[in-house]
Amino acid sequence: MRCTSRRRLLAAVGGGAAALAGCTGPSDRSGGATGGDVPTADERLPLPMSPAELREAARSGGPPKDGIPSIDDPSFVDPGEADFMLPGDPVFGVVRDGVARAYPRKILSHHEIVNDVLAGDPVAVTYCPLTGTVQGFERGGTTFGVSGRLINNNLVMYDRGTETWWPQMLATAIPGPWNEDPEIETLREFRLVWTSWGRWRDHRPETTILSTDTGSAKNYGRDPYGGYDPRTGYYANDALLFPALGDDDTFDRKRVVMGARTPAGAAAFLKDSLRSERLMTGRIADTPVLAVYDDRLDTAYVYRNPEGASFERDGDEVVGEDGRHVPDDLPLERIHTFDAMWFAWSGYYPETNVYA
Amino acid sequence: MRETARADRLRTAVSRTRAGVALALRRRDARLVFGVVTAGYLAAYLRAVGHLAPGLGGVGVTVVSDPLGKLLRPELGPFTFTPVARVVVGPVTYLASFNTVIGAGLAGLVGLNLALTYLAWRQPAACGIGESSTGLLASVPALLSGTACCGPVVLIALGIQASGVLLTALQYTLPAAAVLLIGSLVLVGRRVDPAAVRAAGSGQPSRQ
Repeated sequence: MRCTSRRRLLAAVGGGAAALAGCTGPSDRSGGATGGDVPTADERLPLPMSPAELREAARSGGPPKDGIPSIDDPSFVDPGEADFMLPGDPVFGVVRDGVARAYPRKILSHHEIVNDVLAGDPVAVTYCPLTGTVQGFERGGTTFGVSGRLINNNLVMYDRGTETWWPQMLATAIPGPWNEDPEIETLREFRLVWTSWGRWRDHRPETTILSTDTGSAKNYGRDPYGGYDPRTGYYANDALLFPALGDDDTFDRKRVVMGARTPAGAAAFLKDSLRSERLMTGRIADTPVLAVYDDRLDTAYVYRNPEGASFERDGDEVVGEDGRHVPDDLPLERIHTFDAMWFAWSGYYPETNVYA
Repeated sequence: MRETARADRLRTAVSRTRAGVALALRRRDARLVFGVVTAGYLAAYLRAVGHLAPGLGGVGVTVVSDPLGKLLRPELGPFTFTPVARVVVGPVTYLASFNTVIGAGLAGLVGLNLALTYLAWRQPAACGIGESSTGLLASVPALLSGTACCGPVVLIALGIQASGVLLTALQYTLPAAAVLLIGSLVLVGRRVDPAAVRAAGSGQPSRQ
């Protein structure tokens, strides 16, 4: 699962070809002005406007730099010790080289970034509460922090090596006051799955889960934004805290789509439609893609399907010409995909194809 | 000349305020008002900033590393500081931070305002204290200051979009509240008649 999982995080950013690059090894350009030793992808993901314009669109979310503290020395506990979790609580799950981990949303709401080491690899697990996006990034020898700025209501991270701004969903460097002229590159992403604790624990019983022993004195029983189970607060209404980049009203602002993007373009599948259709087709630019719902974790995967190969659902499995497959292991190239609120996706990818 | 007169008036007002405060703290009933209001306001303030709230349950105390070094580290915005300890007692979680000190200061001012207002209501003739106090109203902005962060609870609840102006305004609610409370206290205190205070100390008729 490692290679494909690197292309996707539970509910955050996606990566297309750039993410694929993330599976094939570090960019030759790593070490440039932008990332320092942050591993970057071979190809750059699209931006909705110029990097300079994105900088102008950044606004203070209230907290100062690192006012929302990243978790830099995370510890994990076994499921049996996770008495602070309910089965319906959202978690962000990942498996790499046989190491399974879950990151509770209730903890990441207070920290937004976990600088972790996963199966020996330095990674950053990032979550933006206002756009409902969770994304994983290779971080090399540096760590990421919360800049305190938002674009399109979305977290703007910074790397502590070069102080470059990295808008989370775009996963691409932009200039900022702490680094005026970074190289415009895209981070290497990996997939995290947004699911529930109960589903993840059943699916990966060997998992460990991020502990509440984070080094900070926080009340993880109190979510300042609201909740998902059931939806309350920010997640139960249509109001945004800050202006969005776009105003596409195809769906309600906070309807969840599963978005996939490559350097060539973007596609969004309405998550409710994926739940009902279970197999959907679409295009990213000229490339046919296939979106497959996974009942086990209530998530979906998007694959390139350039030859238009035929697949059908049969129960929990997908049947192709060469046999039966589980949803996350089709014999196609997977594209980094993640959950996002519609306003956030359409604001950042206004030319996106949409399927519902 | 005019400045000298102004300074004299200010000195008098401060002196009378101190006398009024001393009187309020001498009387048992006024002390009760002060204590209840101060404790209640501090609890409300901590609740507003999210440092006193329902939590995950259990019992325990967690202290961060180097708590003194982190005590004045800003957290979610101006006048919000990072918690350095977590105290869990059953369903309630308390986060200890410098905001408790700030909250206690504000709560003390609100308590004194209300204690003086109480005296004014009980014994206006004896103390020479006016009946009006803006203390209660002045205490509201500080509660709003608890919302000046990335996830403004009030803004979410009201569905208000946070403009730059609004966020900036929220940043100043706490110092504004402190200034208003001190002003309100002096406003009430300057009406204290020292002679009446002394007389009150030796026993005078009240409204009862």
